Amino acid sequence: MPIVIVLDVSLSMSRPVPVVDGTPEFTRRQLAIVAINTLLDHLERHCRLEFVSFIIFSSLWENKVSFTRDYDSIRSALNDLQEFSKTCLSSAVAAAKSSLLEEFGIRTPGQVIIFTDGNVGVGSGSLKDDLQGLDMVTESQRDFPCKIQIVCISPPKDPALEVSLPLYRKLIALSTDHGDVYLPDSVLSVSSVKLLMETLNVAHFNPFEAKLHCGHLSSSVNLHPAPEIYDKDHDFQHIKKGVSSKLNICGFLDISDIASPPFISKHLVLPVSSKSGLTDHSSDQEDSKDDEPAFTVLLHGSLKVEAMIALVEISEDWYGMMFSWADSKKKSNLMLSIFEPGAKAIPWLGNMQHLAPMQDFTTPPYGEDSNKSPFPVRPSERRSYAQNCVVWIKHSGLQADIQKMLRNARKLPEKQPHFYKELNRVRRAALSFGFYELLESAAQLLERECTQLPGNAHPDAAFQLTHAITECSQGGNS
Amino acid sequence: MVYPHSHKTVLVLDHTAVFSRPSQQMVDFDAVTKSRGIPLQPVGKSLWTCNVEACMEFSRIIYDIFPTDRLISLIASNVHEAECLTGWKTQEQSLQHQMTALGSLPPPDIKEPADTSIMHGLTKAIKMLCEATPKQEELLKTQPDLKNKGRIICLTSFKSLDRIKVLEDATDLAIRSHNQLASSKPNLLPIEHCDLILLHVDPINQHGNITARSAVKISPQLQSELQPTLSGPHIAHKLVELAIQHFDLASTTITGIPMKEEQNASSSANYDVELLHSMEAHTELFKTGGHLDEIVIPSKEGLRIQTICLKWCTPKSISSELQQCHGAYRITPVDVNSRPSSCLTNFLLNGRAVMLEQQRKSGSKVISHMLSCHGGEIYIHVLGMFRSILEDPPSISEGCGGRVTDYRIKDFGELMKESRLAPAADASHLEELPIERAKGQLERMTRHWPMVIGDTIIFNMLSHLDPLPSLIVNESLSEDDVKDCRRAILYLVDLESRNENLPIPNSGTRGKGPKREEQYRQMWRECEKLVRCHANNSPQHAEVLECLLHCKGSTGPPSPKSEVKTENGSKDEENTYDQSMKTLERQMTEREKKDFNTIKKETDSPPVKKIKSEVIPRASAGSPESVLSIWMNKMAAKCSKRHAEFSGRIDSKGSKAELYKNPKPEPM
Repeated sequence: MPIVIVLDVSLSMSRPVPVVDGTPEFTRRQLAIVAINTLLDHLERHCRLEFVSFIIFSSLWENKVSFTRDYDSIRSALNDLQEFSKTCLSSAVAAAKSSLLEEFGIRTPGQVIIFTDGNVGVGSGSLKDDLQGLDMVTESQRDFPCKIQIVCISPPKDPALEVSLPLYRKLIALSTDHGDVYLPDSVLSVSSVKLLMETLNVAHFNPFEAKLHCGHLSSSVNLHPAPEIYDKDHDFQHIKKGVSSKLNICGFLDISDIASPPFISKHLVLPVSSKSGLTDHSSDQEDSKDDEPAFTVLLHGSLKVEAMIALVEISEDWYGMMFSWADSKKKSNLMLSIFEPGAKAIPWLGNMQHLAPMQDFTTPPYGEDSNKSPFPVRPSERRSYAQNCVVWIKHSGLQADIQKMLRNARKLPEKQPHFYKELNRVRRAALSFGFYELLESAAQLLERECTQLPGNAHPDAAFQLTHAITECSQGGNS
Repeated sequence: MVYPHSHKTVLVLDHTAVFSRPSQQMVDFDAVTKSRGIPLQPVGKSLWTCNVEACMEFSRIIYDIFPTDRLISLIASNVHEAECLTGWKTQEQSLQHQMTALGSLPPPDIKEPADTSIMHGLTKAIKMLCEATPKQEELLKTQPDLKNKGRIICLTSFKSLDRIKVLEDATDLAIRSHNQLASSKPNLLPIEHCDLILLHVDPINQHGNITARSAVKISPQLQSELQPTLSGPHIAHKLVELAIQHFDLASTTITGIPMKEEQNASSSANYDVELLHSMEAHTELFKTGGHLDEIVIPSKEGLRIQTICLKWCTPKSISSELQQCHGAYRITPVDVNSRPSSCLTNFLLNGRAVMLEQQRKSGSKVISHMLSCHGGEIYIHVLGMFRSILEDPPSISEGCGGRVTDYRIKDFGELMKESRLAPAADASHLEELPIERAKGQLERMTRHWPMVIGDTIIFNMLSHLDPLPSLIVNESLSEDDVKDCRRAILYLVDLESRNENLPIPNSGTRGKGPKREEQYRQMWRECEKLVRCHANNSPQHAEVLECLLHCKGSTGPPSPKSEVKTENGSKDEENTYDQSMKTLERQMTEREKKDFNTIKKETDSPPVKKIKSEVIPRASAGSPESVLSIWMNKMAAKCSKRHAEFSGRIDSKGSKAELYKNPKPEPM
């Protein structure tokens, strides 16, 4: 998930840290920079595809580096900072969230990491001032999935924390469902700050490791970005579950059959060498890694060539699909799209648990030469726009139906089946709507047609019209 | 957990004499008939007809957008009793069923006393709400504390406001007494909460003295609101608006649909079509909201709602590309039978897809949605409009395994085609879920499935083994299948006895190819491996294995074990070369050593590239071991290191052994 690093550059951050045992003197800001560098180092090693942006704030905020994978640009921005006025945290949080929203939309969960010193500011613009009267959270504020972590560069026994910790927690609770405050365990020092960042890194920035199985063929993979825990209210049930570390391919489908299914998230499937177990490209392992065949590469190649997808079970009663995906023409990779939980997530596949192997069918479901498809699964009922239903709320609807009937009446007896089809449609609807007045009028209309029949008309025309007229006038009484 | 009111909606229709009055809506149906005779009088609809039409329009929209889990029950109430026209059963949830049920109802009796109450209908509606729907019955098995909520929409007419108070109190009382009854009966559900909407209907041009009243809480179980409305198209609009409100719907207007003119087929004009769908299709627009004011307009169909205006993009081609789709929601046109609507729906039903774009005042355009049809249902798809966090991903060839070039891509493609899924006709009676059977099939098909061409012999000469490899992976074999397998094995025996080279492409094997005898040995070994891992499928499979072992014994070495012994023996004898050769051998695996030794013994020349013709290596026999051959052998050993690892995986305790053992079930 994209990360916004938010650094407090207020004056209080420039306070020196009390010296312990002759270590060189640091300011809080220098320690914060150490912390940010630790984070960037970790990302570089384990999550190098993450986008990171960098915002500084005091009473105002400024977007120093917009979302990038070039972490060095952030490192250099860290070396070029000035001191500003006082801490105004809530506006910085709002800025970070809106930058995530504008860049990646509401469906991409983001991570905001704030580096501050446990000082919540004074007067207007202070956190206390901003949070006053904001006890109620409206749904709309929270709907955007975003985590907020506050890293406090301050001694754990700083008296200021008594005021600020509850305010931080309130800020997190008000703006998101997930978040935490990180405090160093011991006195402030480079090592304690690094240790603190290790805890944060382990908690939030780990690659998701899984094993992809296709019968006896398998491959260790990393999913990027790591899939989120699904936690959502549905009708009649609450679903909370995570993606299993065992991804089972159940079978395959043609891309034309799966037809752009909706997904909740999309992840790169990166093969991991079973020897090294890590994704980093250290040169000594390069040869052995590249030489060893990986199932994912084989799968990707075949999916791409055949224009197919693999249906993957990612947890109990939860499915996704793997396919070859190309951002540009040249580079393609294996991708996993995760569907909504449940076997009926894609209506046109029917119940996914009821998908059977082709060998179970007596007649091949794809035809003898793959010339047909058992998909899409059709619902038992046709929708109104596909079943020629009757709607007479607007005059034009009724007029069109009457006209259609009349057009066929004038071409009797050739159009006899069409005439009766239209007449019966009108009659049936009129009876259902209790619209008996229409039946009488229809009888009059046909009667007029009957009298105006030309002399050379087929005798059957008059006969059929008379029959229709009788039926219509009886319609209301039967 | 959410228990939506919208799961159950009861529509109560007042079927008393009051509604036999005309609605004052007149339809001049003769205007368009172009008849020469005396024009016919316009026809008038009764209040009843307008109510029925409105209720069916409501149902049409709900059934189109939510075919399951949003149920509607119709009740007609007259002076003496109320009749339930359609209930909760799945087969009753359709427009066709509603039409039939309504058709069997006589018109409201004009002779009945006019001063009547709708109370029969409301009591019946509460009784219906107490009844469990099929979905609720299913849920009750796992959730005994299921909350039962529902909504009643009552189309009636009031003389005065006092009546309403009486009616609401009576409804509340009815809920309480029904809840008491329901708690003692297992097949009934107490009502947790009921939302009552009373619609007071007046004929057009006749404004009554009833004024709207927003929802008030009558009791913990009941909330009631009153809305007066006029008959004719107004009542239909009212019910559509209620549907939008109750079912969280939103509206999209597609603009600029090019359509051939009826009169003038050569020119085309642009039309608009308004669609309804779940609000979720617009969540992103509303939350990111930057350009909302530029694309939100009032409804063009006369509904008192806002609609999002999206422009039709002429489809370029029918593409089968996977779109970045975040959600797909069923749609229904507001005016289903109008010419523009049916043009659009027919276009989509024929399998075309239409992209929809937002037109902003700045002139920029963003494609945000797509309309397309799946199985006769039209969906609006929400497409990704934002930057993807996966942009510029690494290529698969940069990752591990990416530089290997001889993957069996085509063969795996064939396996995928054979492992395609299809919906089972009826899965209810099956012991095992079809998807589990599908996984089982993949398991069988991959028991012996080398990933690269260099790791296999038999899959490089598949046409000569047919149909053995495809039959053996089956769950069971018929007698004929066994015969076919035998024939395939005997063919190989024949091939070997005729001293023919194995029909494998030279380029298929990595580096230097081994000798013919060795190729046969490897081939037989691989065959045995393939058949052996299926031997337990059925007695017939075991029969095939037996046949194979027999044939293999008669031609090649009797069994793999004795073979290994002879190998070791010969190795010791042959070990008379210089130190560099020893180093070379140490790097080699068992099979390679054997290859090498055989070559040394028999040919003493590089059989590379000449493996196709049997004669040449023999002719050149006798020449001393050349530097080239030593180098070639070393390369072969290095290149085919993984061959040996592969064949040894069954017993290996190394990291690769896991591949071929049955995967241990992991705790979920």
